[in-house]
Amino acid sequence: MSEKLLFKDIDEPGLTTLAVYEARGGYESLRKALQMTPEEVLKQLEASNLRGRGGAGFQMGKKVSFLPHGSIEKYLVCNADESEPGTFKDRELMQKNPHMLLEGLIVASYAAGTTRSFIYIRGEYAQQADVLDAALREARAAGYVGEDILGSGHSLSLLVHRGAGAYICGEETGLLDSLEGKRGNPRLKPPFPANQGLYQGPTLINNVETLSTVPSIIRMGGEEYARLGTEQSTGTKLVSVSGHVRRPGNYEIELGVPSREIIYGLAGGPEEGRTVKCWFPGGSSAPVLTADDLDVPYDFESMAKAGSMLGSGAIIVVDDSTSILDVALKTAKFYRHESCGKCTPCREGTNWTVKMLERIDRGEATPMDLEIMASVQEHIIGHCLCVLGDAMAMPIGSMIAKFKGEFEAHMETRRLEAQVPAGASA
Amino acid sequence: MPRPQEKIITFTIDGKEVQAPENAMLVDAAKQGDVEIPVFCYEPKLGNPVGACRMCLVEIEGIGKLQTGCSTPVKDGMVVNTQSERVKEAQRAVVEFLLINHPLDCPVCDKGGECPLQDITFGWGPGISRFVEPKRHFVKPLELSSKIAIDRERCILCYRCVRFSQEISEDYQLVLLERGAHSYVSTFDGHPYEAPFSGNIVELCPVGALTSRPYRFRARPWDIEDAGSVCTLCPSQCNVTLTVRDERVLRVQAREHPEVDDGWLCDRGRFAYPALGGIRPADGTGTVDPGERITEPMIRDGGELRAVSWERALEEAAAGLTRAGERTGALVGGQTTNEEGFLLARTVREGLGSPHIDSRRAGTLGLELHRALNDPRLQARVSDLEFAHAVLVLATDPIEDAPILDLRLRKGARRHGMRIVQATAADLLDAERAGGLVGQLGEAGEEVVILWHERLTAGPDGAASARALLDLAETLSLADTDGAGLLEIPAGTNGRGLREAGVLPNAGPGLSDVADGLDTQGIADGLIAGELSCLYLLGTDPSQDPATDSVWEQAFERASTVIAHAMFLTDGIRAHANVVFPAQAYAEKEGTIVHPDGRIQRLRPAVAHPGATRSEWQVLADLAKLVGIDLEVLTGPMASQQLFDAVPFYEGLTLQEIGGKGVRWQERRQAAAVS
Amino acid sequence: MSSSPATSRGWDQPADLEKDPATIPDPATTPVPDALRREIEAHMALYPDTRSAALPALQAAQRVHGWCSPEAIEQAACVMRVTPAELDAVVTFYDMLETEPVGASSVYVCTNISCSLRGADALYDAMREAAGEDAAFNVRAFECLGACDIAPMASVDGVYVGPLSIEDVPRLLEDVRAGRDVLPDKQLVKRACADAGAGSGA
Ligand SMILES: Cc1cc2nc3c(=O)[nH]c(=O)nc-3n(C[C@H](O)[C@H](O)[C@H](O)COP(=O)(O)O)c2cc1C
Ligand code: SF4
Ligand code: FES
Repeated sequence: MSEKLLFKDIDEPGLTTLAVYEARGGYESLRKALQMTPEEVLKQLEASNLRGRGGAGFQMGKKVSFLPHGSIEKYLVCNADESEPGTFKDRELMQKNPHMLLEGLIVASYAAGTTRSFIYIRGEYAQQADVLDAALREARAAGYVGEDILGSGHSLSLLVHRGAGAYICGEETGLLDSLEGKRGNPRLKPPFPANQGLYQGPTLINNVETLSTVPSIIRMGGEEYARLGTEQSTGTKLVSVSGHVRRPGNYEIELGVPSREIIYGLAGGPEEGRTVKCWFPGGSSAPVLTADDLDVPYDFESMAKAGSMLGSGAIIVVDDSTSILDVALKTAKFYRHESCGKCTPCREGTNWTVKMLERIDRGEATPMDLEIMASVQEHIIGHCLCVLGDAMAMPIGSMIAKFKGEFEAHMETRRLEAQVPAGASA
Repeated sequence: MPRPQEKIITFTIDGKEVQAPENAMLVDAAKQGDVEIPVFCYEPKLGNPVGACRMCLVEIEGIGKLQTGCSTPVKDGMVVNTQSERVKEAQRAVVEFLLINHPLDCPVCDKGGECPLQDITFGWGPGISRFVEPKRHFVKPLELSSKIAIDRERCILCYRCVRFSQEISEDYQLVLLERGAHSYVSTFDGHPYEAPFSGNIVELCPVGALTSRPYRFRARPWDIEDAGSVCTLCPSQCNVTLTVRDERVLRVQAREHPEVDDGWLCDRGRFAYPALGGIRPADGTGTVDPGERITEPMIRDGGELRAVSWERALEEAAAGLTRAGERTGALVGGQTTNEEGFLLARTVREGLGSPHIDSRRAGTLGLELHRALNDPRLQARVSDLEFAHAVLVLATDPIEDAPILDLRLRKGARRHGMRIVQATAADLLDAERAGGLVGQLGEAGEEVVILWHERLTAGPDGAASARALLDLAETLSLADTDGAGLLEIPAGTNGRGLREAGVLPNAGPGLSDVADGLDTQGIADGLIAGELSCLYLLGTDPSQDPATDSVWEQAFERASTVIAHAMFLTDGIRAHANVVFPAQAYAEKEGTIVHPDGRIQRLRPAVAHPGATRSEWQVLADLAKLVGIDLEVLTGPMASQQLFDAVPFYEGLTLQEIGGKGVRWQERRQAAAVS
Repeated sequence: MSSSPATSRGWDQPADLEKDPATIPDPATTPVPDALRREIEAHMALYPDTRSAALPALQAAQRVHGWCSPEAIEQAACVMRVTPAELDAVVTFYDMLETEPVGASSVYVCTNISCSLRGADALYDAMREAAGEDAAFNVRAFECLGACDIAPMASVDGVYVGPLSIEDVPRLLEDVRAGRDVLPDKQLVKRACADAGAGSGA
């Protein structure tokens, strides 16, 4: 059983209160960090090699180091939008251990020299936002948040900002526009948020899980943390497992364990008599893998090598009872609904893809359409303003490539069904 | 504020080495090597690129993904490829995506023939569409406002129009609603998009989604001609392109001049054109009721104005003038050209021996003040409004007085953090408040522009205000600071030019000394008192001004002869003029006018005169002969040349030098001549 | 101020040339309920740029008006000193802001992949049918609500419940109608972590 850092006390009764959190050693890491210089804290983060848990897997320490120095107002924004289909780990962390997130966030703000901070939480997570607000009140009263934290000279204002239902607001620049009170359209990069982010100021954006890991890194020391996991994927990771498994839920694993161990060992695998048809290893934006890939180690680099990605760490398992067309249609419809509409390939490409899939489903398509659909995915990938377009095109492209035969068979059956004259079926 | 410095670098595009300013966006830099990168959303006038349409994807060596040329600044040594199969496929893909929902109703689209979507589809598109699903359908076209129609089927969601509303005119009335493929351009809850600059979105739209309602179906691009001129409807003097068909101005579009209008037009300038040609606007779509354009000379006969021959009208006018002689007073309207004003001043002064001529309504201002305010070292440029540290907006509301300058101020504030300070004439005359202004302005930086309106120098405090203004300029060292200075918005479009041409009661050409005459108010009083007997009106009807209409009513009553050049029969002229000469609209004129910042600009005739209308310079030359003076003007350019010779600081100027972009006399070598 | 019905929104709607342009609402002619004004102003005070308060302001206006009606938008715009169009652009971007009048109790049924693999589509149909014409409910199919561990699930006025079977539907609606805590045995917040090795103070 792997080491538990994030889930160590997760079901401890009353953990959301400051008293219980402190009794379990809470805010010790913050005290420790404030004894160090911000540069030393940053060194620990860099040594830990912690990679962002929001989806892109960028080294957190490096991102902090990109922020310009000096006295300009800088911002830290915690991305708690968690809207990637299949992902629900941040929810459990915020629900049950809000102070761990606050503590990590305060330490990160100290390392990055940011004095204003926001937690952007998706509007649907009203219960979790309430928990965070309550925890924040306690933390403020205890002097962990506010002016001159614990006499360190470091100050931080913090606000929980609730979204209102838009997946694209999880994309970091869409999030910033949304936080500025606008439509959550992604921005052109560069400039990157580290240089020009919220209110045009330098901004560090990190995921809930990323920040929640920071107290452990400070407690253990960066190098010690880096011993967990693999060389390029250090530490532990929460994995949300859902779909056709017997025990769906969040599991904390050490990065690098075989995927099979997560899907079958922890989550129990598909129901008796069913087999894994395909699985999304990192949310619905990740290209699908098949049963052949079950032994791929669950870490950033192995997933990339297998042609997919670790993404947000959400495994969605689809068993052999489900048609690939249904999975493709659900996936494509989600991205069409969530496309912000700003750039052409994503707006039109997601819409066109859904229409083609629907036509296949109606039995009005030919194998030629499958080729067109594949080429449309190619025309989206790498051509969009943000990666939401790719997030549809990559999984859809992977489904067409890996399940071409099933698509074609499906088309043929539906086509024949459609040809049956009305009434003849009765 | 320091303006961006340009450094020239060398980069390679499609195998060619090309030089371009460093950090220019690739799509602009590419033009230096005659390479065209197609764009839809990119429009530098709208501010930072948004990278939305993805039409401009190019390959840059060393970068894996294709990059948007509209947002990639060019660097020394960059190697760019726009012709690889990868780039071409991406371009074809974007066109294919855009055409998915575009109705391709080009034959009935006003944009047809001048449509970027058409051109780019032809040049870069795939040639076929693989999209076989039904296209979306909306009701179309719909009214977006009284002036603009919207066809949402054609919209390609390039963001240009909404960026204009939000980031340029800052009226924030036009937005995108909904998300993704459902997004559409709209206003709030069915309110019309009515704002002072709304018409610019028609020009910005790269497809036929936004069209001008007055222009709809008026012409197809292949049967029109374009003519460049300058809008004379307000002192902003925006550069325009007039769209002409069958000797009619059908449309007015911006002709971008970074030192004048920045490429924008206000709605008055854009939509008032039906009046220019005297065309009645299509039902209910015009913004101006043109009334009946006067197209023949008229004289009063039995109490009524009736059309007569030019000979008859000229004789009648000459007789009136000769009778009155030095008891003639002349008023010149703000849209009058320099040449017209100059020729009339010569006729009145030299031909009739009368010193009574005025183009200002603000009363006499001492000649030494006029000269001091005209000091070339004190003159700010329009672009200084954008780059200054602070602008003092004094006794003016630019949106009313010179709308396009309002956009420039907003741009300065938004893009460069320029500070805007507002003040009234009373603030300036109050020592304490004036001191406060100095503090506020000085705090922002040394480059300060004072944007002030001629009304500051009106009335009993006019001279004191002018002096206070000069003192303030002195305190702030505006004369010695680059990028600082004064910028006056005159009451009339060509107020500055007329002043410089000597159309003042106390100044001759180039603000030279003359025998003092009566100013506007003095002329009214003189007529009422019977000291003057003839009133000459060149493009003005003073009874239109509600502040002085009762005075002028009396003056008109008492005048024995009233001669007017007019396009329309306004009330005063209809009731009192003895002779009316049909006047030209600006689209018919040739001559020069002077921008508030000293830029001499050329008007060029785009359409022929309607009816029997003749050029004013010609009428004035003919009339002068009849009152005994030969102005020696046989052509429009001869009149211009005479003026240039008469004004010392215009010395050596030629129409050719003025060209299509104008020239600021302060920036010419002869600038010293005035001081 | 505005009286146009919800159905007049949308892309087939021309501008009404009789109306004035929708500039920043005049406080003199745009009455705003006091409590709403205070709530919006309190949000505005929390941000370095008051515009950031757009979402909280609209959420507050929606609570008062039941949906983001033109009137609700005008009131929020009036307090925030922005044009109503600026806020309408925001309203129509976000799924949780309603652009038409809806029932007071929202039931979001997740129909995204993980839930649909476990029967969410049938659940949604059943929910709609059971709620029927009852104007008290706003039953909507929603994208992934971040609770695939309790698939298929629903969010009832923000309270997550699942896994739901079709049999749970009448009880769920009844709880809401009665103003009771909804399906107490199925609430997400009461579940233990799935990770057996996870600590609870061990
Ligand atoms: C369409 C889209 C949706 C995203 N949604 C989320 C999200 O819900 N939560 C999150 O943390 N990151 C999300 N991301 C990733 C963020 O852009 C960003 O990389 C991340 O928040 C950085 O934090 P990290 O470095 O700690 O992972 C999303 C990215 C894209 C393109
Ligand atoms: S209406 Fe025209 S300018 Fe506006 S988004 Fe559509 S295509 Fe672009
Ligand atoms: S012109 Fe570059 S993205 Fe539109």
